[in-house]
Amino acid sequence: MTVLRVIAVLLTGFFVGLTLEGIARKIMARVQRRYGPPWYQNFIDVFKALSKRGISHGWIFDFGILMALGGVIATLAFVPLGDLVAFPGLDNIFIIVYLFAVGALGMAMGMVGSGNPNASIGVARALTQMLGYEVPYLVAIAGVLYYYKTSSVSGLMMAQQDTWTLFKMPIGGIVAFISLLGMLGKKPFDTPIAPAEIASGPMVELSAKYMGLLMLMHTFSIFVEISLFVDIFLGISNYLTFLLKFTVVWIIATLISAVLPRFRIEQVVKFYWKVPLSLAFVQVLFVLLGWVF
Amino acid sequence: MISLTNLILVFLIGSIVSYLLTKANKILGSIFNFLLISYALYVVWNIKVGHEEVLFRILRDVERTLKVTNLGKYFAIVSLIVISFVAFFIIEWIRKKDIKPAAFNSFLLLMVSGILGVFFSNDLLTLYIFWEIAVLGSFLIVPMGKKESKRAAIIYVVTSAIGSYMYLFATFSIYQRYGILSFEQVSQYLANDSSNLFKWFVILFIASAGIAKSGIFPLHTWLRITHGNAPDAFSAVLSGQLVKMGSYVLAIALSVFPTTQLFSSFYHGVPLLNYVLIWLGNISILIGTFMAIRQNDMKQLIAFSSIANGGYILVGLGIMNSIGYAGGLFHVFNHAIAAAMIFLSFAAVVYRTGTTKIDEMGGLIWRMPWTFVTYLVGIISLAGIPPTSGFISKWMIFSSLVSKGMFITLAITFIGSVGSFLYVFRPLAGVFLGQLKRKHSDVKEVPIIMLVPMLLFVILTILIGVYPKPVLDSIVSIENEVGIKAIEHSGTIIKTPLGQWNTLTVFTMFSVGFIIAAILYMIFPKGKKVDLTDQYTGGEYLYNYDLYHYATGFYRFIERLYDKHPSFEKLYEKLVSFFRYIGYFTYKLVYKTSPSGYVFWITIVILILFWVRW
Repeated sequence: MTVLRVIAVLLTGFFVGLTLEGIARKIMARVQRRYGPPWYQNFIDVFKALSKRGISHGWIFDFGILMALGGVIATLAFVPLGDLVAFPGLDNIFIIVYLFAVGALGMAMGMVGSGNPNASIGVARALTQMLGYEVPYLVAIAGVLYYYKTSSVSGLMMAQQDTWTLFKMPIGGIVAFISLLGMLGKKPFDTPIAPAEIASGPMVELSAKYMGLLMLMHTFSIFVEISLFVDIFLGISNYLTFLLKFTVVWIIATLISAVLPRFRIEQVVKFYWKVPLSLAFVQVLFVLLGWVF
Repeated sequence: MISLTNLILVFLIGSIVSYLLTKANKILGSIFNFLLISYALYVVWNIKVGHEEVLFRILRDVERTLKVTNLGKYFAIVSLIVISFVAFFIIEWIRKKDIKPAAFNSFLLLMVSGILGVFFSNDLLTLYIFWEIAVLGSFLIVPMGKKESKRAAIIYVVTSAIGSYMYLFATFSIYQRYGILSFEQVSQYLANDSSNLFKWFVILFIASAGIAKSGIFPLHTWLRITHGNAPDAFSAVLSGQLVKMGSYVLAIALSVFPTTQLFSSFYHGVPLLNYVLIWLGNISILIGTFMAIRQNDMKQLIAFSSIANGGYILVGLGIMNSIGYAGGLFHVFNHAIAAAMIFLSFAAVVYRTGTTKIDEMGGLIWRMPWTFVTYLVGIISLAGIPPTSGFISKWMIFSSLVSKGMFITLAITFIGSVGSFLYVFRPLAGVFLGQLKRKHSDVKEVPIIMLVPMLLFVILTILIGVYPKPVLDSIVSIENEVGIKAIEHSGTIIKTPLGQWNTLTVFTMFSVGFIIAAILYMIFPKGKKVDLTDQYTGGEYLYNYDLYHYATGFYRFIERLYDKHPSFEKLYEKLVSFFRYIGYFTYKLVYKTSPSGYVFWITIVILILFWVRW
């Protein structure tokens, strides 16, 4: 049964994730008054990339990519998708956040292993950006954990019987959403990728199947990040309403990123530690004082 | 089975034997060291808790005994595991090193005898005596490293002395007030004492020895210079073991003298004194993390990370609830193992390349793959990423902080945790990944004897990460001993009031994810292997790939934000020059004019002090 549920979670991640990425490209194009690619463009991209013969930069390059994809697949398996929970009771929020770091570390290691300084700079920026967004995000989430007295993600979801956490703790919700934009690497927080500056940063040496596998990893990562936000802040949902809420959050994030320019990396950190972090502390102060609606 | 007293004596005599043996043959002496330390590990492993021995008597009415407690046994086992692995490493390492091998081996055993005494002493004074023996042994080894090591040793011993004299002062105050010194009695008398001030004073002063030793702010400055300059293999013992002696004293100050019962609650069940200590831990985490991000010397980088991790241990112990205390103790184990394996891998790198500067190296993964694996697993554990053991303790500390509602401390521990991803990546990228430097093209992997302990550490870290039961069991018995509610666990499932997780499921799922990725990798067409010189360069023609490796100023863009940070090292240096000036002034004024007058006045002062009995 667990095996079936894991497979269901992974397949959902694959199909819904790639579809929504295609839709996001379409929306982005329409905002910028272009026609845009079809919604299934990302499926074509992934399979085309996987079927080509590319170049590899040695075993650490390959191993890093395997570790990245493996880590993210493992993380995704622990994330509850509405009422579809692969490991009931074991979906601890800290496990998910830190297991996620395995994938990030694998990718960072593999890409720096390619020996291209553009990749190194991109990875250094990505880690710095992580220092920016993780802290306010985790503080806001900690307020939620403290309020509901559980750190299981599905427990947090089921605790929202009367109202959504987003309405109970609106400031925390906003902080988590801003941090989510940073996690997704969407503009204005796409500094680590920055195609015009550092040649797509970590991805600079990727080709063919390596590119394809990392595209899959990227899709799964997005799925994990948004799922956590939907589970924790947007009320109880079953599988279908979950996907609906997921789509709405994803489209809002896309629309925001479509109209904004890019931050410099130190501006990202400064911004996250000034605005969202102070807001997160305000929110946890409210939680401690019992001012929760 | 040999008694503890004899074991300590064996080590004291062994240090002389080891000196002679090493004089005769370097390798023989090192093997002797390794065997003796392993034997100590075997004895300590099998020793019964509650076993008592009379060692010696100095003061009247004070039974000076050695006593085996769960807490001491846990620390002793962790320490001896680290030291015995390092001793095995030394067998090969010492061959090439142009330090004084005989003295090195002899002092190592002297230090171990001190360590054994510290962890098994049953009263404050015996602990102090053995503490100084351990400090002496390590103090004599530190100057054998680089050029700057002599200064490092002095800074180390002075900082250590500040802490241990404060400790000694508290010890004598207790003896004067109660006439007893053993931990059990002291904690009883303290519980009945009405003076809050005295309790504060005693516990803070005893804790200050631990603060100095485990590199907690404001006595943290010695770690950078000492860890950075000590002999490479000895840095592993310094960071993996000696710093943990400080954590042991902190654990005693906070839990054996039950602070939560001695003082009233200040915030959600945490007394003010613990809160103050937790804040010292917080500051250490911040200093350690942000300074580690800046370092270009890999040993100093991990030295700063030791400060941050000492802070984690203090935060965990300071919370003093079931999960937080367990997290602190577990972190002692994790950091001991992780720091030791990281420093050993650095020692291996220095053994082959002769430098500790990150930007002078690069691409060593192509020459030293097993050293790289050790470093990789070490940093995964240090950064607290599952499936290694490092995550378990960090998770416990986070959980207890959330349930106590200590959000600022929580934010700081998150900064320390995410910041550790940053600083551990710097040597990974700079030393091991990227283009190999031309001058390092004939570097080889280190010999098998050095690899064995490193890889054993790797196995141990992953094993405890998947199956933490042995460590958790000893933590449960410690918590029962000091009267904290024990944590619940069943082998691989760890439970907290906030929820549970299963280490085995996480590991299995990670393996499954990896296998899925590997299958995908294998069914699609194989890539062509190209050299690291075959790169996208933006159309530029490159002739020197040494310069193409990005390692200098790796995080320059964030370092720039705190370039003008206040520095305690500079403040202490100002203090030092102030005292030097005063000394010089006195010398000029008194001694130069009349040495006999100088001696006369000194005698008068001492006599007055003696007469007042102050």
